[in-house]
Amino acid sequence: MRKTFIHFFTIADYKEEENWLRSQHRRGWQFVKFTPPCFYIFESCKPQDVIYRLDYKNSKRAKRYTDMANDFGWEYCGEGLGWLYFRKARNIIETENEGELFSDNQSKIELINNVIKTRFFPLCIMSLAFLLITIFSFPYFTSHLSHNLVLAFSIIFGINTAVYIFLITYCGNKLKKMKNKYKS
Amino acid sequence: MNDRIKRVYYPMTESGFYILFCLQTPQHGYGISQQVKKMTGGCVTISAGTMYGTLSKMEKDRLISIYSEDDKRKLYQITDLGREVLTNEISRIERLYKNSRGENIDA
Repeated sequence: MRKTFIHFFTIADYKEEENWLRSQHRRGWQFVKFTPPCFYIFESCKPQDVIYRLDYKNSKRAKRYTDMANDFGWEYCGEGLGWLYFRKARNIIETENEGELFSDNQSKIELINNVIKTRFFPLCIMSLAFLLITIFSFPYFTSHLSHNLVLAFSIIFGINTAVYIFLITYCGNKLKKMKNKYKS
Repeated sequence: MNDRIKRVYYPMTESGFYILFCLQTPQHGYGISQQVKKMTGGCVTISAGTMYGTLSKMEKDRLISIYSEDDKRKLYQITDLGREVLTNEISRIERLYKNSRGENIDA
């Protein structure tokens, strides 16, 4: 049996996403596929403690990586928006590092830097572009549309702006905090 | 050796050092991790993501090159530049070791 879950994780929530996938597997739902932006397809399975790990590669040449991860006992189980999903049963893990994709802080920081460069900065630029378009198109709207439509658009623009501001401050702060944790 | 290589690889990370050291003989990612685990008595383990990331970076920086590849695995080996970086790192570690035992380095 298959089931679709809707759950939204930001670019700074991949650790939470790993834990969530693990808890679903414990309840008897194994991860099958992620469809952006927020749809997770699960299949019913025997409840088991399986560790999920995500890596961000942002490139198409991931086959080499998934093959190598396979040598290390990781099952590659999908990809979405540049994130690669791996899992490994808890009971075959003997040492702490065997349950991690990254064994040193430098590689954890590199992942965060990569997310900042290829996802966070574009998000900031997109938000800024959206904001500028909104501001410059406003005189056009007010002179060409009815009062009610202008009000409706203003509300939509307002909500959008609020969402962008929230995402940028939330992700920015969290990524920075995670980086500092690995640095110290 | 250019400044960027010096900046990135002096000093090297522990994983970086062991990976480069092991690649004096051709080896693939998982093989390196097994060898490192064995030679350090389990003190140093390198996980899949760290291994792949470090190998990719060193390959891009030409410290290592591809020795052979089939559809499943790539075998890497150290290059002349890699050997130079490794030798410098080993002298640095030897200096640390000597100084830590109270010995001075002769100029």
